[in-house]
Amino acid sequence: MEIAVSVIADTILITLVLALAAFGLAIIYGLIGVINMGHGAMLTLGAYFTWWLTQHGLPFVPGVLLAAAAVGAVGLLFEHFIIRHFYDRPFDTLLLTWAFFLVATEVIKIVFGTDFRNVASPFAGAVDLGIYRVPAYKTVIAGLSILVILGTAVVFFKTTLGIKIRAMIQNRDMASLLGLNIAAMYKLVFGFGAFMAGLAGGLIAPMFSVDPYMGNTFLVRSFFVVIVGGIGQLLAGTLFGSFAIGGLETVLALFSDQVVAQIAVFFIAVIVLRFRPQGVFSGR
Amino acid sequence: MATLLRTEGLTKRFRGLVAADGLDFALMKGEVRCVIGPNGAGKTTFISMISGHVEPTAGRIYFKDRNITGLSVPRRAQLGIGRKFQTPSVFEGLSTFANLELAVLRRAKAKSERRRTIDAILETIRLGDARDTPAQFLSHGQRQWLEIGLLLANEVELLLLDEPTAGMTAEETAATGQLVHHLAADRDLSVIIIEHDINFVRELKAPITVLHLGRVLREGSFDEIADDEQIRQVYLGTAHA
Amino acid sequence: MTADVTQSAATSWRHLAAGLRREDLAALIVFAVLAAIPLAVSGYVVFILPQYMLFGILALSLALLWGHAGIVSFGQAAFFAVGAYAMGLVMKHAALPINSAYVGILVGAAGGAAVALITGYFLFSAGVRATYFVVATLALSIIVEQTVKSFSNVTGGWNGLYVDRMTLTLGPLFELSLFDDAPMYYVILVIVLPAYVGVVALMRSRFGKIIVGIRENEDRMLALGFDVPLYKTLVFGLSGLLAGLAGALYATHANFAHPSNAGVLFSTQVVIWTAIGGRHSLLGAFVGAIVVASLSNYLNAVTPQYWQLLQGLVFIAVVIAFRRGLAGLAETLFGSRGRDRKRHGNAA
Repeated sequence: MEIAVSVIADTILITLVLALAAFGLAIIYGLIGVINMGHGAMLTLGAYFTWWLTQHGLPFVPGVLLAAAAVGAVGLLFEHFIIRHFYDRPFDTLLLTWAFFLVATEVIKIVFGTDFRNVASPFAGAVDLGIYRVPAYKTVIAGLSILVILGTAVVFFKTTLGIKIRAMIQNRDMASLLGLNIAAMYKLVFGFGAFMAGLAGGLIAPMFSVDPYMGNTFLVRSFFVVIVGGIGQLLAGTLFGSFAIGGLETVLALFSDQVVAQIAVFFIAVIVLRFRPQGVFSGR
Repeated sequence: MATLLRTEGLTKRFRGLVAADGLDFALMKGEVRCVIGPNGAGKTTFISMISGHVEPTAGRIYFKDRNITGLSVPRRAQLGIGRKFQTPSVFEGLSTFANLELAVLRRAKAKSERRRTIDAILETIRLGDARDTPAQFLSHGQRQWLEIGLLLANEVELLLLDEPTAGMTAEETAATGQLVHHLAADRDLSVIIIEHDINFVRELKAPITVLHLGRVLREGSFDEIADDEQIRQVYLGTAHA
Repeated sequence: MTADVTQSAATSWRHLAAGLRREDLAALIVFAVLAAIPLAVSGYVVFILPQYMLFGILALSLALLWGHAGIVSFGQAAFFAVGAYAMGLVMKHAALPINSAYVGILVGAAGGAAVALITGYFLFSAGVRATYFVVATLALSIIVEQTVKSFSNVTGGWNGLYVDRMTLTLGPLFELSLFDDAPMYYVILVIVLPAYVGVVALMRSRFGKIIVGIRENEDRMLALGFDVPLYKTLVFGLSGLLAGLAGALYATHANFAHPSNAGVLFSTQVVIWTAIGGRHSLLGAFVGAIVVASLSNYLNAVTPQYWQLLQGLVFIAVVIAFRRGLAGLAETLFGSRGRDRKRHGNAA
């Protein structure tokens, strides 16, 4: 019984943390079709900025928000000067975002050094639910993850801005003829995706030690979340995909070790990619 | 004369839209047939099901008395079905010669024999002068002919031409008509042509199949079709299924 | 961009169709220089250059995919590591009547090929999109890296696997330990050269033309009756074979197989080598890897982060503007592109 509860609790927590981490990638790929290979680096940047800001006295919450904004700004600059010229060439955007990862990682190493850093967790300890003790911070993150994803979904489906973005995705040329500013929309989406990645990085930072490559473990996992869940299905897809990937990893880790579990999940994800490349939820 | 192509009850439903509704169609070896009909009649869907690009919801397709309904696109091409797409699909970055060479390569032959075959095809499709021109610099009409040339190089027996004269000049259109007749008469190829250009269809003097809402409405000669009041109404949009 | 595609397609075709070309002359010079180096110098260069030649083969395996077939792979390191570990394990455990190093090389190459063929067939037969394929190869790289790290009782885990220097034997007649740098150098060169020539010849044959055709217009190739997934699988298998071969030789030369031979970082490095050297040129990729790796060796000791940063920036520049890499620059300098431009300018 206790094992079951702990597995369920772990799965829920991991699902939501992974969903948060993958969300930025899901947004960018789902809405503007760019496979952001720099997503992991943006996560790492968010973590480092958060560390730096909290080191200099800023409380955790404003630190994370400011860090996320900074990553969003970096993303916008990258979009403006480089990416926006290549939207019609998905391969090149893939390579260029990968180059972003390379450059950003080295800049991080130069500026912040290669030692592992630590961001103190604002909610240390655990919450005792009687049958199971839940790590307090992880729970808060999980809650935030739901809020963020639901909030974005509300904007996407219920607001004028959301309608405009959806119109643009359906038919870019038509939307442009109707007077929508496509270039601005793309910037908004890319910047927001970067912001989300930075936010996730900052929030996740207290859970791991911060090193220049920490975001990368989330990069491939995030891809699989998006591919398994369904491209463009921001809400259901991201949550389901995270559940599939995160949950599977948790369950498999019970029978072997973490590394083997990860290998197995990747294997299975590649198989899913092959048989249902549009994802479980995609309507296309 | 043998039946080269036969379809039985060929049907295609796309989520509520019926693009083909029980099509029964037959084509002889060496026969040229025009398929016409208003937009949305299901002409391209019909061709796509024969070439293998679209899977039918129901029905069967027989090519040379063989059931090809489940076969893949490459497999059907290997059997002798060649499709010319609505938007010409050639190798833009390669020269005309290189384009044809690639098509010939499937049946590996000696280099000298390849060259002879290609030169002969270049003559047939009137692109002898454009031998070394990269395909992307050919005129639109020349690209259409090149695509037909690719199919010839591939040793097809059934040519599926989807609007071959679209975008062509009057002179090119006339030449295309001659080409089609030559291919049917001298090389014994069968040709299905989807066309909107009524003059081209008239000049071709080939039997016509009229499609409407996924069904065969009428088959006959140009004069028979032209006199048919119902068909006129279908084209004007005043008739109903 | 379109003009550039035309140049590359037309040039590759011309290379394929004709016989000896300028690139062959350049290759002759490169290999002559490589053969002459141990006669002229000694010391560290003779030690390290064979490893870079093997990196050159690794880059070539990617150029084959990327430039010729239009398939990008972020997972070449996976096959390299398979080859390296295969070599190490065969040499360590196999009690064979024949030279275990020879067997190791064969197993390494075959292992690389096998993994590539299986993965390739699995993905290509379903028509997996090119961008997803990249992610799958990235995952493959990670899978191999994690696998060799975790089965540590077999592979040595984090510490890697020690591998002996091979011995050159010819049955009972001849035995030469390759412990010394110069003999090892030549053995590797003697394997690398035919590998290069073989791949170049293959890509100029019917097979190579079909591969280029698939890159140029896959749908047309399908509609002409070519089994496109099969050809893609074969070319991917070939690239796996080359990478595995390089890995096997590397392991015995460097005396170890290590998880870092797999993984994302090394796979990325291969992409950078091939991009800078020139993805459309097999010789360009080969030489590019040697040049960049040599520079890395020197600059990594001096300023690793700035050098890596510079590589990243150069990579961006290559993707945006210098798509044909160093090979493209060489072609412009030595005239073959100018010649092509003239011909096309006068076309109807």
